[in-house]
Amino acid sequence: MPEQKVVDTDYLLLEAPRERKFITGAQAMAEAIKRANVDMAIAYPITPQSEVMHLVGDLWAQGYLKDYYRAEEEYGAFSAISGAARGGVRVFTATSGPGLLRGLEAIASWPGHRIPAVLGVLTRVVNAPLSIQPDNIEISYLLNCGAVVLHAENQQDTFDFTLAAFAIAEQVDVYVPVAVATEGFFVTHAKGYVNMTPEDMKLPPRNPYKAPVPPTDNEIPPARIQRDAPVQKSNFMSYLIHAVWQQEVWASTTRAMKYIYKYLGGPIEVVNPDAEVFIVASGCAAAQSREAVRYAQLEGLNVGLVKVKAIRPFPEKEIRKVLKNAKGIVVPEHNIVGWLAREVKAAIPNNDRVVGGPRVYGGMTLPTELIMDEVYKILGVKKERKVLV
Amino acid sequence: MKVMPGPEGYMPKVAALEGVNLSSPGKGLLFGEEVDEEVAMREAARAMLTRPNPTIFPGPKILWGWSPNAFEEADAILELAKEIPNCRIIPMPDYRPKYPKIDPEAEINPNHPNLTILHNRIEACIFVGVHCHYANLSLRMIRAGTNCFTIAICGELGHEDAMVSLRDAHGEKIRKFKQIVIEEREKLGIQWEPKLPPPNPSLPKENMETISYADYGEYAFLLMPKKGEIVTDTE
Amino acid sequence: MGLEYVRITTGFEDYMPKDYVDLVKYGQFGKEYDIQDLGTFKELVEEHPMCAGCFMAYFIRVFYASLPNPEDSIVIGTAGCARLQLSQAAVPFIYGNYGDTNAVASGLKRALEIRFPDKNKDVIVVAGDGGLMDIGFGMTMHSWFRRERFTTIMVDNEVYGNTGGQESGMSPKGVQLKMAPKGKKFDKINAVELAKAAGCVYVARIAPTNPKRLAKTIKRAILAARHFGPTFIHAYTSCNIEYSIPTEKVLEDARNREKNDFAFYEWMSDEVKGFFEQVETKKKEAQEVK
Repeated sequence: MPEQKVVDTDYLLLEAPRERKFITGAQAMAEAIKRANVDMAIAYPITPQSEVMHLVGDLWAQGYLKDYYRAEEEYGAFSAISGAARGGVRVFTATSGPGLLRGLEAIASWPGHRIPAVLGVLTRVVNAPLSIQPDNIEISYLLNCGAVVLHAENQQDTFDFTLAAFAIAEQVDVYVPVAVATEGFFVTHAKGYVNMTPEDMKLPPRNPYKAPVPPTDNEIPPARIQRDAPVQKSNFMSYLIHAVWQQEVWASTTRAMKYIYKYLGGPIEVVNPDAEVFIVASGCAAAQSREAVRYAQLEGLNVGLVKVKAIRPFPEKEIRKVLKNAKGIVVPEHNIVGWLAREVKAAIPNNDRVVGGPRVYGGMTLPTELIMDEVYKILGVKKERKVLV
Repeated sequence: MKVMPGPEGYMPKVAALEGVNLSSPGKGLLFGEEVDEEVAMREAARAMLTRPNPTIFPGPKILWGWSPNAFEEADAILELAKEIPNCRIIPMPDYRPKYPKIDPEAEINPNHPNLTILHNRIEACIFVGVHCHYANLSLRMIRAGTNCFTIAICGELGHEDAMVSLRDAHGEKIRKFKQIVIEEREKLGIQWEPKLPPPNPSLPKENMETISYADYGEYAFLLMPKKGEIVTDTE
Repeated sequence: MGLEYVRITTGFEDYMPKDYVDLVKYGQFGKEYDIQDLGTFKELVEEHPMCAGCFMAYFIRVFYASLPNPEDSIVIGTAGCARLQLSQAAVPFIYGNYGDTNAVASGLKRALEIRFPDKNKDVIVVAGDGGLMDIGFGMTMHSWFRRERFTTIMVDNEVYGNTGGQESGMSPKGVQLKMAPKGKKFDKINAVELAKAAGCVYVARIAPTNPKRLAKTIKRAILAARHFGPTFIHAYTSCNIEYSIPTEKVLEDARNREKNDFAFYEWMSDEVKGFFEQVETKKKEAQEVK
């Protein structure tokens, strides 16, 4: 392990020199953890996440982390994460599909408990029937927890989002967990080029006293209830307390937006802003959509891309602006429920412009042709289909 | 959204979700809009000088001596309190929902700050040394149910839900605010000799440490049951 | 730091509510009181919303009075009656989710060891039979398997009291409770033996009829956890409401149970035994010198 020096957060994320490596998504996430000055990680196996936490375990063995263990199951892992975060250290864990759902009660309580943890979500099918293949339906369960949810398109995003996640989560005015999701296998087990900051630089350590709630460490007052007040006893408090507490969670998630602009260049990326038809996509589907935009260009069609990086806070304003004059909007997704299409429909006027699809799930890939079919329909382009045998 | 004194109604709006952003360094928020810090301070000073029953609510970060800064800021807050005519100090020593209930003259509690505000008819207040999460809860509940003008003196980034929000405020900035209070007070022609607010009404008026058993006279037996005596009657 | 965060800043002694001034002046911070002094000092927990005659309320009162270092202690609880009182004490309290106490405590204790390697910070779980032996069973057991260095205290009222009197794994066989309308079909879980088998270094079962012994047991469990590994106390804290025990019979009931299935039992590893012998010899020597 090289001697790592602490550098300024903004410098590391925005200015530090980068070196290009050809690595998997799982490696990219672990490489981010290596540079994030993480104190403690807690792991529990589930395919396809396991690879990430194996690598993080190796980092601990090499001395990059101070503590690491394999927990009893996800609920235990995520509860322990909340304990460690209350104790004032920087924490990381990761999971997939059914694991996320098993631990969801704990995760849903992190924002209210003001736990600035970073959670890797390496998406997979939710049983039943059993399968381990990629499918991102689990993100839909995560959307109402109050956490910041970022969705990475590729290995590069996975590295950048994971490293930035710590900087975002620990801002005093945010202080809610940040989930970094990306597709299992398609990204985690496939290689891509990643420009990475130097191995010998890391983020400043977490300062638990720069926080909207005190850490539970017997060093900072108050000695009585510090942050986890059970507030349901109606004879000595107001019901309004829980209401304003929930408001605070969502206000905090919303405040993350300015840091998403600062560190990730904004919640969306737009290709061809003057397009007639837009493809709105997140994660892996954005990669296929990028390819569809290239196809369209070759065919002389005016098609653009809105890649959504932040699912929470959802960039309503930004999307509304870009899609203002769009004739049609295609939302390709890796799940059956179409959670992104719902979000987009809720954000824009005249939402009958939105085509909720194409959707693939259960581990199926997303052929660019499926996206193009929807584009053709909107533009009224007739295509002959030849079947080659 | 303009963040004005309430009562706003049953369910308060969340300034942060209504487009109000925290101020940039060196600036403050006045009614939800970014202004020069001094402008915000002057408005805050006038509120504390002209509205009924101005009160400072110091939180745990100032009340407890956990760091040298706490002592420094506690000093600054007492200096500020001296300069505000008829100011009171009502502390928020912790964040627990207190059983069975709070004494609204002795303390303020983030789970129902409106009780203290309404009981004491406080129409201008300063929150200082309260952790941001709890300050935000309180500020919103106060706006929902009272007409109190809220001022947040925050050591971190400030608070959208206060009428006046000052950020990065520690000893020095609190003293600057004190100077502005003095200036505004003189402008308003208010005569005032600096003096500390009255102590907490819950504290005993006499020194209990010097009270002896004999001071209880004929009621002494109530303190300690006699050997073998079983007390069955209670109040 | 510990003591510094429970002192009042200069000038603010006059503005704090009496309750807090008393805590600092006459409370337990930085002092060690004997349990028999109860009533002569300001206790960490006073007013609480527990039912009249609740034996758990009494247990928790003695528990707080027995903490060896309240200024460096963190208590973790979960759903159930106990947390109503725990959250009123002048010791940091964490309320997480259902049955997560021992997982939260694992993370917290490790974090504190990372940040304060030279300090003793006591982490103590106080949770009910439902929280530790039913919903949180896996996390309880695994925290012991992993030999996490904190204390687990089970306040066993043999029922889900706070949710309205349902059967728990710790209810005695045959008892008719809600969700067991025909009576409980299986035996009370043998938590003490489970704790021993799972690797606890100090295990005790106690019906809190004798405050002195109770205080000693609690202190021992906390000190052993500080230096050696997981410790466990199984305490009988009857629910006078769900088991219809008249208030004046609560202590009598505990004494009866003590005679039957709650006899005081204490087990510790040889290492812990050696440690306490050493501590007690030192104490005696110190007293003789005085």
